[in-house]
Amino acid sequence: MRELAGKLLRLDRRAIFVLIALATLFPLVYPVGLPIRVSPEVRRVFDHIESLPAGSVFLLSLDFDPASKPELYPMAVALLNHAFRRDLRVVTMTLWVTGTGMAEKVVSGVASEYGKRRGLDYAFLGYSPGGANVIINMGQDLNAAFPADHYGERTADLPILRGVRSLRQVTYVVSLAAGTPGVESWYVYGKEKYGFELGGGVTAVIAPGLYPFLDTGQINGLIGGLRGAAEYEILIGMKGKGMAGMDAQSATHFIIIGLILLCNLFYVLAPGTVVRSFDGAQDRTGPSTGLRTGSPQEGQR
Amino acid sequence: MATSVLIGAWVAAGLTLFMFSFLYKDNPFFRFGEHLYVGVSMGYTIVRIHYDVMMKSLYGPVAQEGKWWLLVPALLGLLVLTRFVPKVSWLSRISFAVIVGFGSGVAIPRIISSNILQQVQGTLKPLLNAGSSRFGMAELNALLILTGVLTVLVYFFFSIEHKGAIKIAARTGVYFLMVYFGAAFGYTVMARMSLVIGRFDDLILFASRDYAYASLVLLILVTLGLLLWERGQHRSS
Repeated sequence: MRELAGKLLRLDRRAIFVLIALATLFPLVYPVGLPIRVSPEVRRVFDHIESLPAGSVFLLSLDFDPASKPELYPMAVALLNHAFRRDLRVVTMTLWVTGTGMAEKVVSGVASEYGKRRGLDYAFLGYSPGGANVIINMGQDLNAAFPADHYGERTADLPILRGVRSLRQVTYVVSLAAGTPGVESWYVYGKEKYGFELGGGVTAVIAPGLYPFLDTGQINGLIGGLRGAAEYEILIGMKGKGMAGMDAQSATHFIIIGLILLCNLFYVLAPGTVVRSFDGAQDRTGPSTGLRTGSPQEGQR
Repeated sequence: MATSVLIGAWVAAGLTLFMFSFLYKDNPFFRFGEHLYVGVSMGYTIVRIHYDVMMKSLYGPVAQEGKWWLLVPALLGLLVLTRFVPKVSWLSRISFAVIVGFGSGVAIPRIISSNILQQVQGTLKPLLNAGSSRFGMAELNALLILTGVLTVLVYFFFSIEHKGAIKIAARTGVYFLMVYFGAAFGYTVMARMSLVIGRFDDLILFASRDYAYASLVLLILVTLGLLLWERGQHRSS
């Protein structure tokens, strides 16, 4: 057993990559449809949009770039579907310059599915520089922050923005964020001062840091990662990319949990085994040698 | 299917495979993809800044609407570029002074209000309300959060030696931090797996007949390329 543990600890790390690839690939090709429970924080975003009367101004800020597309794009699709179904006045924008093209694609794509007209039923304001300062500027004068929309039309002339002079006239804001500027910027510089309700949709990496703001009511709901997107898709009855990815997500998590447990078991069973670390240096494992956390040079010594 | 979509699918599938090839080892395919990514990102940003900032927010309002005062922030922006000319680089300090002054003035009161005062209020409020109702799960959670906040603060309080009761409190704080790190790591794994799923999802789509089996053909080509490169490396060594 000890020998086997030593052999497995010396296993080429690329075997783990292959394992993860297979665990991702098979559920995507042959979906199982594992059940997904909707969490209260995701339901709160859904319930809030459900409670808005038709014609309310809903601002969706797509604060991410293509690097976070797999997690946040499905959320954007689900939220836009929901907002257009509810006949809300959908105003969209981005605080991330590299996300402009992708944001335009998702907004115009979902809008065309519902036959919504640009400028009349929805608007894409595009990108404006300044990060959090754009939010402050929008709170004072929306037309100053965005003199023209993404397509060059003067925002003051857009019928959808009739009566909307600043963020004070916006009913609900959701920021889909992969970092800063994002949800935090919206509640620090926007919500508290201009009084709109705020929800967030974020990548799984930054979700834990936003839970304190959920508890205090600084954000009314939170959609976290691909799992959150899948939950929202369930709520609106849509089979999207979020749900499609959840089987693969569960399978990979299962593999990773298994590997962590096995590695810890082997760590105890095979003390002092020389293993190759990720940078090619050698390191020793096991309680007898102590846990090495130093540099590769230390490991070689 | 439109030719542009087909070309886009082949490029996307190819570059995804190039980047994944790093999992084997560092190689020319990966480096090509990496450099291309940096170049394209920078090029795209410059183009968007030109249209969204220079044209839409500066040239348009100044030339067409006569908002000449927008030239002041434009000038401050240009002053930053004087960093490249050592003789006049001191001029850039004016811009930095404005940025730091304005940024601090705007951020400090808002951050104190949102991230400190409201958080303190949110931590204590459920417990202050607990007296009026039965002690339930919500109150237990609130108590747990308060214990976590206080013990973690004690852990980061280095002015007194961690002995006796302080040591116990600091140790408890470490356990709370461990739980947070565990949750954060779990979420990070979820995020990274989501990115893999996103790319695999596209690769599966591009492997279909509609896209002329782009993923499969390119996977074979990249594998062959890696084999040839590996052989060349072996010979040269």
